[in-house]
Amino acid sequence: MESLNLKLLEICLKCGACYHICPSCLNMEGYDPRLVIKDILAGQYEKWLKSKSIWQCLECHHCLEICFQHYGFENAMTAMRTLAAKKGTTPPQVKKGWDIFMKTGKLGEPTASARKKLNLPEAAKSGAEDFKKIVKIYQERKETKERLKTKD
Amino acid sequence: MKDFAIFWGCTIQSRFPFLEKSTRMVLDGFNLPYRDVDGFTCCPEKSLVNNIDRGLWVLTAARNIALLDKAGLDLVSPCTGCVSNLATVNSELHLSYKEKEKVNSVLHEVGLEFKGKNKLSHLVPFFHDEVGIHAVKNKVVKPFNGMRIAIHYGCHMIRPSHTLKNDDPLEPKKFDNLIKALGAESVQHMTKLMCCGQGLDRVDQHENSLHFARIKLKELKALGIDAMTLCCPSCYLQFDNNQFLMEKEGEKLGIPILYFTELLGLAMGYKQEDLGLESHRIDVTPFLEKWNRLNGELSHVSDLNRELEEGFGIAQP
Ligand code: SF4
Ligand code: SF4
Repeated sequence: MESLNLKLLEICLKCGACYHICPSCLNMEGYDPRLVIKDILAGQYEKWLKSKSIWQCLECHHCLEICFQHYGFENAMTAMRTLAAKKGTTPPQVKKGWDIFMKTGKLGEPTASARKKLNLPEAAKSGAEDFKKIVKIYQERKETKERLKTKD
Repeated sequence: MKDFAIFWGCTIQSRFPFLEKSTRMVLDGFNLPYRDVDGFTCCPEKSLVNNIDRGLWVLTAARNIALLDKAGLDLVSPCTGCVSNLATVNSELHLSYKEKEKVNSVLHEVGLEFKGKNKLSHLVPFFHDEVGIHAVKNKVVKPFNGMRIAIHYGCHMIRPSHTLKNDDPLEPKKFDNLIKALGAESVQHMTKLMCCGQGLDRVDQHENSLHFARIKLKELKALGIDAMTLCCPSCYLQFDNNQFLMEKEGEKLGIPILYFTELLGLAMGYKQEDLGLESHRIDVTPFLEKWNRLNGELSHVSDLNRELEEGFGIAQP
């Protein structure tokens, strides 16, 4: 994701308005992005990376829509998830989904037998091959960039 | 109307092909110029891919959009997530020349270029804006007069609004207008815009996911609605499948879940077996029975309405 805007997050700390519209805040005990934001600003977010909380943000964008900064809690939560993924502490299902996505470019394939039963036409071809090509190029470029960075 | 590509997404095609069926039936019924296009991949799912590799999320979506640029087609999808993800990347790339160049330098290697020139619409706002309420009304042969239906918009049909730009993100109307056009009452409820919570199942929090489903279903049960309607495979999974799992554990709520295309198809006179309604986990028979009964009882209302719409019924001497 893009880097966090700490100036905006500082204002969140004083505001907290979206807490009252966020479905996870309202319905799940212990879910409170305000605490996460506070720790991010204090530079002590490590403990959140292994928490269940950061995966409870539903990306419903309610916070974004009501926010007068057009920012939203979700940015802080996405940042935490991205860091957690980097450290390999994603929930097992996420890892599974990611592997399928990288392998096939999709999260599931049509089944011919079910289609036949419903009288559906043959499904359009998947773009998996081209997908794999661009992933390869993308990853090579990313690696080169990182190598150059560590050389500096 | 410009030709458009139909974007099914992974979930509908892999898990709910009957939803593809009803969608095709209504598109055909309206004679809409849709095409199946080779080469699409996952949109891709933001909550999965963006969390792990933002660059790849953007690139994959940009590739799908570039296929539209190549074919000169708009896009319509019966999946909210697909449209929301594609539209978000689309507008991000329009805002950043640098990122667009970066993406295109990769896409050029496979003979594609992201331009982002075509419209990306979800099926519901598409029917509202492009097909039009009047045309929808004209196709109704068996209205839902007297039926009380609760609409679940699904977050990503309308949010984030700065990329989708199709309805009020906190007080949407278009789905309501369509359901009313089919003759039904759109029953207002507290949790109308609440997230379905299915995402929690994808991060190994099944109990929390059920907790979310339960909140909404219980409210609808108390309101005595006849069915819930939605147009997102993820929300469908949450309310049909997970409701069924709850039922198996002895918690029976009995709320039939109908996809927008199924309701529309039924109103257009298509048979339930052709629409694939028997594939639902939660029995839809109570809904259909009441509807059939009311249609018999209220047929004079439909006749009266038809006459009113045809103009003034003053007999010519
Ligand atoms: S996007 Fe996340 S933080 Fe924002 S309102 Fe939805 S669940 Fe809450
Ligand atoms: S995201 Fe916006 S609404 Fe939410 S606490 Fe921060 S400033 Fe307030």
